[in-house]
Amino acid sequence: MSKRQKRFQVLSERPVNKDGFIKEWVEVGLVAMDSPYDPKPGIKIENGKVVELDGKPRQEFDMIDTWIADHCIDTKVAAEAMAIDSVEYARMLVDINVPRSRIVQMSVGMTPAKIVDVLKRMNMVELMMAMQKLRARRTPSIQAHVTNLKDTPALLAADAAEGAFRGFTELETPVGVGRYAPMNALSILVGSQIGRPGVLTQCAVEEALELTMGMRGLTAYAETVSVYGTEQVFVDGDDTPWSKAFLASAYASRGVKMRFTSGTGSEVQMGYAERKSMLYLEIRCVMLTKGAGVQGLQNGSISCIGVPGAVPSGIRAVLAENVATVLMDMEVASGNDQTFTHSPIRNTARMLMQFLPGTDFIFSGFSAVPNYDNMFAGSTHDTDDYDDYLVLQRDFQIDGGLRPVSEEDVIAVRNKAARALQEVFEELRLPPITDEEVEAVTYAHGSKDVPDRNVPEDLRAIDEFMKRGGNGLDVVRALAKHGFSDVAGAVLNMLKQKVSGDYLQTSAIFDDDFVVLSAVNDPNDYQGPGTGYRLEGERWEMLKNIPQAISPEDV
Amino acid sequence: MADEHMSKKVEDMIKAKGLAISPDRIADVVKQVMATMQGGPGDSSGGSASPKGGLDARKDYPLANKRPDLVQSASGLKLEDITLDKVVDGNLTFDDIKIKPETLEYQAQIAESAGRPRLAANLRRAAELTRIPDERVLEIYNALRPYRSTKQELLDLAGELESKYEASVCAALVREAAEVYEGRDRLRK
Repeated sequence: MSKRQKRFQVLSERPVNKDGFIKEWVEVGLVAMDSPYDPKPGIKIENGKVVELDGKPRQEFDMIDTWIADHCIDTKVAAEAMAIDSVEYARMLVDINVPRSRIVQMSVGMTPAKIVDVLKRMNMVELMMAMQKLRARRTPSIQAHVTNLKDTPALLAADAAEGAFRGFTELETPVGVGRYAPMNALSILVGSQIGRPGVLTQCAVEEALELTMGMRGLTAYAETVSVYGTEQVFVDGDDTPWSKAFLASAYASRGVKMRFTSGTGSEVQMGYAERKSMLYLEIRCVMLTKGAGVQGLQNGSISCIGVPGAVPSGIRAVLAENVATVLMDMEVASGNDQTFTHSPIRNTARMLMQFLPGTDFIFSGFSAVPNYDNMFAGSTHDTDDYDDYLVLQRDFQIDGGLRPVSEEDVIAVRNKAARALQEVFEELRLPPITDEEVEAVTYAHGSKDVPDRNVPEDLRAIDEFMKRGGNGLDVVRALAKHGFSDVAGAVLNMLKQKVSGDYLQTSAIFDDDFVVLSAVNDPNDYQGPGTGYRLEGERWEMLKNIPQAISPEDV
Repeated sequence: MADEHMSKKVEDMIKAKGLAISPDRIADVVKQVMATMQGGPGDSSGGSASPKGGLDARKDYPLANKRPDLVQSASGLKLEDITLDKVVDGNLTFDDIKIKPETLEYQAQIAESAGRPRLAANLRRAAELTRIPDERVLEIYNALRPYRSTKQELLDLAGELESKYEASVCAALVREAAEVYEGRDRLRK
C-alpha cells in the first residue's frame, strides 16, 4: 500500500500487534479445543477393566491410556457417567442446585474425550462459574515467584519476606545457576517465615535434586513435576506415568506436599501433538495426575502460554484446563505465571479469568520481584503491578490474596530477613553476607541495586553444606542461637508439619498459627448467592483500605 | 487374603513403633487396618461416607489440632515434644522430625473419608516408602524412568521392595511398569 490510513498505522504500532498469532493448523496440533482428530467419547468395560477407551482398544493403548484406564477411571460409575448427555453435564457444572459432590463423583467415570466434549460447550462466563463452584478449597489464594538474576541470597530472603508479608501463601524460587539451588531454598525458607509464619516454599529444579531438598527440610512443597499428554513427549521428558507416580509417593513419604505440572501447548512445542487439540491432550494430563493420587496440579499452559495464546479460543482453553483440574477434585495452581503478550490489556484480561472466580492459587505465580529478575522468563504481573492488583481487588470486592501494606513495615521485614540470613550464613559457615548487602537489599527494587557476590565461593560452600548433610534443623539452630528465636520457632513449625502430614491433603495452605486450611476442613461450599467464599468483615475492611484512598476526615 | 495382608500390616506397624505396645494399642491398630481393607482405589464414595472405624475427615482433621494423640514422629516423639529448646540443645536429630508410616495411614483414612480414594492409595504407597532410605528411593525412581532398566531388573526391584521393605503396593506398581514398558518398548536394551 503506497498510502497508509493513519488509524491503521497507529494500530499497527500498538503492543498487541507485536504478539504472534496463527490460524488453526490441525496437523501440528495448533488447535485449542476441537480437533477433527480428537477421538469420540466412549468406553467399554469387561470384568471391571476398561477394554476400550475413546474408541481405542486396549491392545493399542499407549502408556497414558493404560494409566488413565487402570488408575483414574472409576469403572463402577463409568456407565452412568458416560450416559449423561454432555450438554446436560455442562449445565450441571453451572447449576447452583447440583452439589459439587455429585459432579466430582461422576467426573471420574468419564473419559478424556468426554470431558473435552463437556468443556467445549461452555463459554468463558460459564467456565468461570464452574471454577467458582468447583474449586476444592473455599478460600482462594495466590503463589509468588521469588528469584533474581544474580541468585543473591539476602535479596531472595528480603523478597520472600515481603512477598509473605503481602499475602502470598506459597513462594517458589528457581535458580539462575543450577548449583545455587539449596542456597536459594534456604534463603526463601528463612525470609518467608519472617514475612508471615506458615508460608510454604519450594525450589523448582531437576526432579531428583528437588526431592532431596524436600527430604532435608529445606523446602516445604514441590511443584516442578511435569507430566505430558502424549507418550513421546512424556518419554522425551525422561519419565513415565509410573516413575512420576512413584515420585509422588516419595514426596509424601517424607511428609512433603507436592503437585504435578502440565499445560496446553507443551506437546505442540515439543513436536508430538498427534494432531489432537491442546485441551484433549491436557485433559489426559489432568486424569493421569488424578490417577496417581496427587492432590493437585499446576496448569493453565504455564511456560507454553505463547502456544494457546496464538490460536483462536486459546485463552478459553487455558481456563477450561483449570476447570478440568477442579472437576477432578484436585487443587489447581492456575498459571498466570509467564509473559505471553506485549499488550497490557490482553495481559490483565487473561488474568481476570482466574481472578474473578477465584482458584486455589490464582497465580503460580505472581512475580514478587521485578520482571527483569524473574528467572522463570517473566510473569504476567510483577512487583510494579502490586498497587494495580490491590485496586482491582477493591474495585470488584474480590479477594485475590494480597493486602495493602505500609512502606515502613515492608522495610522492616526486608531488613529483618536479610539480617537473619546473615547470621544463618555465619553459623552454617557459608560466605558472609556483608552489612552493605543487608542495607542494599532492604531498600532495593531489584538485583540491579545490590552488590555482586563471589559466585564460585558461594557454590563451593553450599555444595559443602549439602555434602555434610545440612538440613532444616541446622537452620533452626542457627536462627535461635543468634537471637531470632521467633523465626527459628516458625521454621521448626514448618518442619513439624511434615510429621503430622495434614498438609498432604488436597489444597492445603497454612494460616499464621500454622493451622492447615485445605479442601478437607475448608471445603468449597458454593451454591449460589449467599454461599461460598465472600470477601466481607475484617478481611474486606483490610483490603479496601488502600493507603492512597482519601478519608472523609482528611477532606 | 485380606487376613494375611492385615496381619502383615499390623506387624509392620508394630515393628515401626518399637517396644512398648499394650494389647489395647494392638486392638486399636487392628481396627484401623480392618477399616482400610474396605474400599479400594476404585471406590468413589463421594460426599462424606467414612469407612467403618477409620478416621473421619470432619471429626479428626487436622490431626495436629484434633488428634495430636495419634501423631508421633518416626522416632516416637509427640508433636509437643518437638521443641525449640531441644533443637538448640542438640537433643533432636532429623529422624525426630520425620513422618511415621502410621501417620500416613491415618491421612489415607482422612482422604478416603473425604471421598478421595486415589489420594489415599498414594499415601499408602508413601507409608511403605518411609522404610526405604533416601538414596535408595532416588535410585528406584531413576530405575523407573524410561530405558533405564531391563524387565528382569524391574522384577528384581519389585522383589526387593517386597522382601526387604515389605512394600507390596509399591512392588505391584513396579511390576505393572515392567509389563507396560515391555509392551511399549521402553525397557533398556
